[in-house]
Formats: sequence, structure tokens, C-alpha cells
Amino acid sequence: METLTIVVLLMFLVVTAIGIIVLRDLLAAVILTGLYSLVAAGAFIVMDAVDVAFTEAAVGSGISTILFLGALSFTKHQQKPRGHDSWVALFFVVVTGGLLLFGISDMPRYGSATSPAQTHPQIAKRFIEQSGDEVGPPNIVTSVLASYRGYDTLGETVVVFTAGIAVMGLLGLKRRRPEDETPEHASGDVPHEPGHDTDRLT
Amino acid sequence: MPEFIAILLTLFAWVLMLIGCVFIVAGGVGLVRFPDLYTRLHAAGVTDTGGTIFMVLAMILISLSQYQNPWIAGKLLLILFFTLFTTPTASHALAKTALLSGLVPKDEHGKPIIDSPELAQKMALSRAPKDGSVNLTPGASDNADNNKSDGNS
Amino acid sequence: MFVAAALALLATMILTIARALLGPTLYDRLLAVNSFGTKTVLFIAVFGFLTGRPEFLDIALVYSLINFIGTVAVLKFYEYDDLGSGAYQEDDF
Repeated sequence: METLTIVVLLMFLVVTAIGIIVLRDLLAAVILTGLYSLVAAGAFIVMDAVDVAFTEAAVGSGISTILFLGALSFTKHQQKPRGHDSWVALFFVVVTGGLLLFGISDMPRYGSATSPAQTHPQIAKRFIEQSGDEVGPPNIVTSVLASYRGYDTLGETVVVFTAGIAVMGLLGLKRRRPEDETPEHASGDVPHEPGHDTDRLT
Repeated sequence: MPEFIAILLTLFAWVLMLIGCVFIVAGGVGLVRFPDLYTRLHAAGVTDTGGTIFMVLAMILISLSQYQNPWIAGKLLLILFFTLFTTPTASHALAKTALLSGLVPKDEHGKPIIDSPELAQKMALSRAPKDGSVNLTPGASDNADNNKSDGNS
Repeated sequence: MFVAAALALLATMILTIARALLGPTLYDRLLAVNSFGTKTVLFIAVFGFLTGRPEFLDIALVYSLINFIGTVAVLKFYEYDDLGSGAYQEDDF
């Protein structure tokens, strides 16, 4: 049942990805990206990676959809028809994908009992028995993330922070003034208050 | 007789789960086969809410009778609570935005119910009359105009 | 029982994805994605019971909220071409 579910969910992923590529309407593509993320998180849960699924749900389906929408408000909703075939881009994408697949071939199989994390003589035992004394928190995962591999986590945080700053710089934090609005939006006399619309909606 | 009650609860959960499955699958079929947006909205919106109610109730019964963990039942109740709020609201917002963009609903012969996209927009912008009646005749445009001017004054 | 429910949910997900890919208007796609989100929430819950570990329901909970936020954000963007700033007509709501 588990294998069947994973296979079906991966097929959903492929179909959705092809749909995203084929569609010319960028807003529809953004909507399908949200669907892709939902499917991916479902697959993560089936494969017991609950924390990754949590992140995928919050970031992929929530924040990135809204960031895409923010980016779309600066552009047109239709993709431009391409005038040329981008063989160079295809070449680089295929090479990168091949390298990634080559890298995967070194990793242990899903759920393998002979992976280094399972067969290492001391490491899991030490984390389980001594992380409470050495680090403190009762949750072992927290100890590993924040202390045993603290520099790695710090680097990840820096990357995420930089990406956040870059996105904010690109999309802009400043609210648009009402006089910059297009005429049909600016014709009303009453300015919009935040939260006003949702109050009425519910 | 706790054992007898547990078996009864499980049986009842089976029935509820079966009803939920029928709801969900019927909604999926309707979503694919129905002719236009508003009928699909009906299929998906109603069956999502109904199917969720039945399936979550079934899972609550199972969690109470087999796992004896009140946290699981509590989380399921929260899921049910949020779904009962969000699904109808999302359906309403979808229908209203579609009407506002000028997508006219059609009857079973493919004939538009509302005369023009502009009238559909006006109806989407107008508020429902106080007595709760819905006026689909072309005269409704006057009503919508009145409401609009009231809102702006 | 849970196997049957999971299979029913997977079958419905296939139909929903078909509508999301076919859907002539944008609203059809949005409706399909919203409906798919509800099915994902149910699927996560059912799968938790199927594997005998129904402790992962928090994710289903997060999902049911994020799904709604995403739908309303897209609708709002499509209606106003913006995400919540600027002046609207009061009668819009």
C-alpha cells in the first residue's frame, strides 16, 4: 500500500510538472505550483519525513505562492511565446539533472538498514544516551540540529536569510500609494483598510 | 460491556467512512463531468464539506475506541472545525470572483441565466436583499444600481 | 477500511488533478487545487491511521489552514491585481 501510494503521488508530481511547463497562463502555473507542493508534501509524509513535509506545506504551498503572486503583480499574466529553441538551456538542464542523479547513486537506498547512520557503532547510541547531559534539550533532534551540527544549521540560516533579503529587495516592501493605482481602482473615495475585506468575507 | 461497545463503535465508524468515501468520489466525478464552473463548484464544495464531516467523524470514533488518545480526537475535531469554516468560505469567494469577472452561469440548455457579463458583475457587487429573496430577472439591475449608489453615498 | 478510504481518496485526487490540468478557466483550476488540498488533508489523516501512527495530524491541521490562505490570496490577487495595498471601492465587498 505504501509503495503504491508513493508511486501514485510521484506520478501526480510528474503530471503536474508537465502541466506547469505547458501552460502559457502564468497565474494558472502559479496555482499548479501550489498543487505540486501539496503532492510533494503528501509524498514526504508517506516516506516518514514529517519535518520536511511541514516545511514544504508552509513554504511551498503558502509563502512561495504568495511571493509568486507578488512577483506577478509586476508583470503580465501571459507568458511570451518563445521565438527560438533554447537548446543551450536544455543542454545545461540535462547535464545538471544527470549530475544530480549521479550524486544520488552514492546515497543509501530509502529505508536501508546498512546506511552509515544505522551501522555506525557509536553515533546513534551517543546521541540517544548523552545528548541530554551534553546539550540539554529533551528532544534529540533539536540537540543534533542546534549543537552537534550547529555550524551547518548556521550556514543554512544565513542562506535562507540572504534569500529572504533578496526577495524583499526585488518585490519591495513599500506599499504603493493610492495615486499610483490604475484608474478603476483609484476611483473610490474611501481608502482600503487592512483586514477590512476579510472581516466582510467571513 | 466495553468490548461490545467498542465493536459497535468500529462498525458505526465503518459505515461513516463508507458514506464519506461515496461523497468524496462522487465529488471527484462531478468535478470532472459537470459542464461549467458553477456546477463544478457545487459538486466540489458540497462533497468536500460533507465527505470531510463523515470521514473525520469516523476517524474520531476509531481513535476513541482503538487508540484511547484524546489528543488525536482533539486534533481531528480541530481539522473538522477549520474545514467547516474554510471550504464554504473559499467556495463563496470563488463564485463571487467568477461572477465579478463576468463569467455567466448557464442553465441546462446552455442558455445564459443572466443577460450579460456586466449584469453579472453588478449582481456580484450588490448585496442580497433584506428579505432574502434572489431576483434573477433582468430587472435586478435596477436593484443593483440602487444598492451601489447607497453604498457610495 | 482505511485502505479503501485511501484508495478512494487517491482515485478522487486523480480526477481532481485532471480538472486542474484541463480546467478551461482559471477558477476551475483554483477550485480543483482547493479541493485537492482538502483531499490531501483527509489523506494525511487516513494514512496516519492506516500505518497505525495517527500522531502526524498536525500537518493535516496546518494544511487545512494554508490551503484556504492560498486560495483567498490568489482570488484577491486576480480581482485587484495586487496583494492588499491601495484603495478599493467600498462597495466591492
